[in-house]
Amino acid sequence: MAADPTRRFISTTVEVEGREETKIVELPARTLTPWDADARLEIVGTAQPRVDARDKVTGAAIYTTDRLPPGLLHVVLVRSRVPRGRVKSIDLEAARRMRGVVDTLVFDDLPKDGKPIRAGGVRFLDPDVTYAGQPIACVCAESAAQARAAAAAVRVEYESLPFATTAEWAVMEGAPPVRAKGGNVSRSSPCTCKRGDADRGLAEAEVIVRGRYTVSSALHTAMEPHGAVAEWTGDQLTIHEGTQGVFAVRDEVATALGIPKSHVRVVMDHMGGGFGAKNHAASHTYAAALLARRTGRPVRCVLDRAGEQMDTGHRPGARLDVTLGARRDGQLTAIVVEALSDQGVSGWDSATCKIFHELYACPNVRTVERWAYTNTQAMAAFRGPGHTEGAFALERAMDDLARELGMDPLALRLRNYAETDQEKSRPYSGGNLQRCLEEGAKRFGWEERHARSSGKLGSESNYRIAPELDQTQHAGNSTLTPISPAGGPPRWRKGFGLAAQIWPSGGGPPAYATVRIHPDGSVDVLTGTQDLGTGARTILAQVAAEALGARLQDVRVILGDTERTPYTPNSWGSLTTPSVAPAVRMAAEDARDDLLEAASEILGVPVEHLSTRNGMIVPCTGAEAVPISQITAQLGDVTIMGNGSRGPNQRGVGLMTFGAQFAEVDVDTWTGAVRVVRLTAVHDVGRVLNPLLARSQLEGGILQGIGYALYEERVVDERLGLPLNANLHDYKIPTMSDVPAIDASCLDVVDTVANPVGARGLAEAPIIPTAPAIANAVVDALGTTLNDLPLTPWRVLAAIEK
Amino acid sequence: MRLLVNEKEHELSPDPVESLAETLRMRLHLTGTKVACARGECGSCTVLLNGRAVYSCLTITNACEGASITTIEGLATPGALHPVQRAFIDHDAVQCGFCTPGQVMAAVALLAATPVPDESQIRRGLSGNLCRCGTYPRIAQAIRAVSGQLEATDGR
Repeated sequence: MAADPTRRFISTTVEVEGREETKIVELPARTLTPWDADARLEIVGTAQPRVDARDKVTGAAIYTTDRLPPGLLHVVLVRSRVPRGRVKSIDLEAARRMRGVVDTLVFDDLPKDGKPIRAGGVRFLDPDVTYAGQPIACVCAESAAQARAAAAAVRVEYESLPFATTAEWAVMEGAPPVRAKGGNVSRSSPCTCKRGDADRGLAEAEVIVRGRYTVSSALHTAMEPHGAVAEWTGDQLTIHEGTQGVFAVRDEVATALGIPKSHVRVVMDHMGGGFGAKNHAASHTYAAALLARRTGRPVRCVLDRAGEQMDTGHRPGARLDVTLGARRDGQLTAIVVEALSDQGVSGWDSATCKIFHELYACPNVRTVERWAYTNTQAMAAFRGPGHTEGAFALERAMDDLARELGMDPLALRLRNYAETDQEKSRPYSGGNLQRCLEEGAKRFGWEERHARSSGKLGSESNYRIAPELDQTQHAGNSTLTPISPAGGPPRWRKGFGLAAQIWPSGGGPPAYATVRIHPDGSVDVLTGTQDLGTGARTILAQVAAEALGARLQDVRVILGDTERTPYTPNSWGSLTTPSVAPAVRMAAEDARDDLLEAASEILGVPVEHLSTRNGMIVPCTGAEAVPISQITAQLGDVTIMGNGSRGPNQRGVGLMTFGAQFAEVDVDTWTGAVRVVRLTAVHDVGRVLNPLLARSQLEGGILQGIGYALYEERVVDERLGLPLNANLHDYKIPTMSDVPAIDASCLDVVDTVANPVGARGLAEAPIIPTAPAIANAVVDALGTTLNDLPLTPWRVLAAIEK
Repeated sequence: MRLLVNEKEHELSPDPVESLAETLRMRLHLTGTKVACARGECGSCTVLLNGRAVYSCLTITNACEGASITTIEGLATPGALHPVQRAFIDHDAVQCGFCTPGQVMAAVALLAATPVPDESQIRRGLSGNLCRCGTYPRIAQAIRAVSGQLEATDGR
């Protein structure tokens, strides 16, 4: 990273959710001294409450759905009721005559200059529909209730066409075409990735296990539905949207509408979760923008829950056929995978097989992956995309192998974990999977697990099953009894499982930040990133305060505004912390240096004798410290401003997050219900910037992982092609009652190789090993195979009966 | 009709089937009450109706004549947060914050009825409020703190 003054712009590689992209970046004007393990930090690394928590607990935080400018109109989308076909006629007359209706929009009304607008992988309002739930018309009215009523009055006639709603179906010979153009698999299918010679590896194996593992399509289910509020002032368009990428939405809208990017302002203040589903402009964005232009009024389009669940993305369902070969001592000799993913009608090739190349040391790996298109909503990245699906198959297969070898599952992992990046023959910046496994095993009590649990089901849990909540007890017995009537097999069985995780989380350029200090000493940090609920706003305030020597309460972080904040990438790929925090630190140090020069002039002390700390300018001469606000007050409107940018990553090193999770479950063999009793997680994410928030994010990933393991499954009727559970009652996410005792922690090993702040990304990693750890525990409890997620009661009962 | 919201009286003419959530948000601009499903499945819209927690998306405004409604905006007094709000901040029971107003109201109602709830009462009291970010363990912790079931230094 040594700056060559003659070359300011260089090409560099960044990894986003496992994909590599080559980018040209500008080398920053400054070089930061990494905050290493010995750095004396006072704010970074401490447990600070969220800076926006007060607004969120008082109802003061404004989300997209809360923006109600005067004159606001409301849009409701009319959605296709067939999975594939053609809209023969669409009768809007009745709807138009209804009270409060102002405008309607169908495909023929769209601007015809330029390329068709695309949303969610299809043409916006396309009468040729390719999935149920695809928007075909918009109704715009004075109130949301009027728009809903009018949308229900729209009469549509369809010409239905044959369809395919599962990947197996779509790739069968003679399957109907899913889309108008192209085949039913993505262009890169089949994608074969090889290392070594897998056939030789299998020939060398002393033990071989094979299994077919499947995962269901899962829905992001953020609590705030997608939405946009659009308003035109002359030829300037302003969009408030709860998005993970204000700049992405700006670029997509400008392109779609054929207007300059400088004429589109996208703002995101607070948003109610994203988890990968809110990375792009979509139907609601275009509906709001176009109808605001047509009506000359502000227009709001916020999806209802059904729309949210059937038209905003999903984690692809997948089927993985896995073969593992190993020597008797447990050493892997071959990994062979064939995978088929269900993209829905569109999407990017999110690799379920990549983790098979990464997590364990194995000289011979061959994976063949296909991505099928189906007549269901397009996929969207969902927290740890690809790796989460793949980890289930890999880690279930590893447990099958351990059983076949008669080896402890932990010992098998410790025998095989990868110390280096085998694909690229390079080291990891912090290869601490072994420590995660060992530390996790210790905290969980893995070695003594059977002794600890004997005969005391659920007794270790802080969260005992509440008898009145435990519906399983009604299955035949009026009290919760762990032991069956004398002589029979025990009703409840206990099991233990573990799984490991790897995930790229290094971030990279470009990302920019500006820091300015007002005359009263208060500080603005401006950067274009988004806080999805992750805590980005808080940790960036901590980094700025630390680097500037300011008090945390004096720092305000302004995010997500394409007009006012400098560029940062989408908040995805666990990259916000490692990409944006270094830029913020640089901007703050830039401002600090200017501040010290000004202070030197005012105080008459050489600048090299001055430093900042806790809101004060501190001379090392022993003279009295002076508040920063005193210096800035004397400067008046002479403004201290600093700029920062994210420099490129070091070459030849892999920036990954590692982790291991351990689960204890109770399985009710009468009803098939699985209860996670406790779960221990240890992850290595580099420096922990805020342990309070880090634990929350770990717990959040784990809870989503519990949903993925036990409850979550998007169900599509195979005959009608309609989603059957597009609501929060039938699509089950975990509730307060499903929470186990969670012991989640990070190793907190500073990673100065990754970036000068020493932290890698944390957001996605914790969901990856949860489901396989739980599934392995259920298999341990039952002694039978269970290879399909989610582990709903009927799947568990079917496995017991096998 | 007359509606008492956060101790302020309002004269309103809501539509016959208008939900309390819609009245609060669209007519009174009390947008702290959130709507995430609009069919009584998630609890984001929880408010207090005469002190009891209700889903305002399933409550018809016209049926609330004379009732006293408390929303998230009405919990804090000038200068002082409600203890539940304070505990939610201190124990990081907030991530994206969208379900938070409903969670806070459900916790307030639980503690009003059961000042020292045990584990199963906390679970039952909050199980009607979904959170996708996974703040449940922190919410339970915050409730334990407010009800004096935590050591002062615990919880971080």
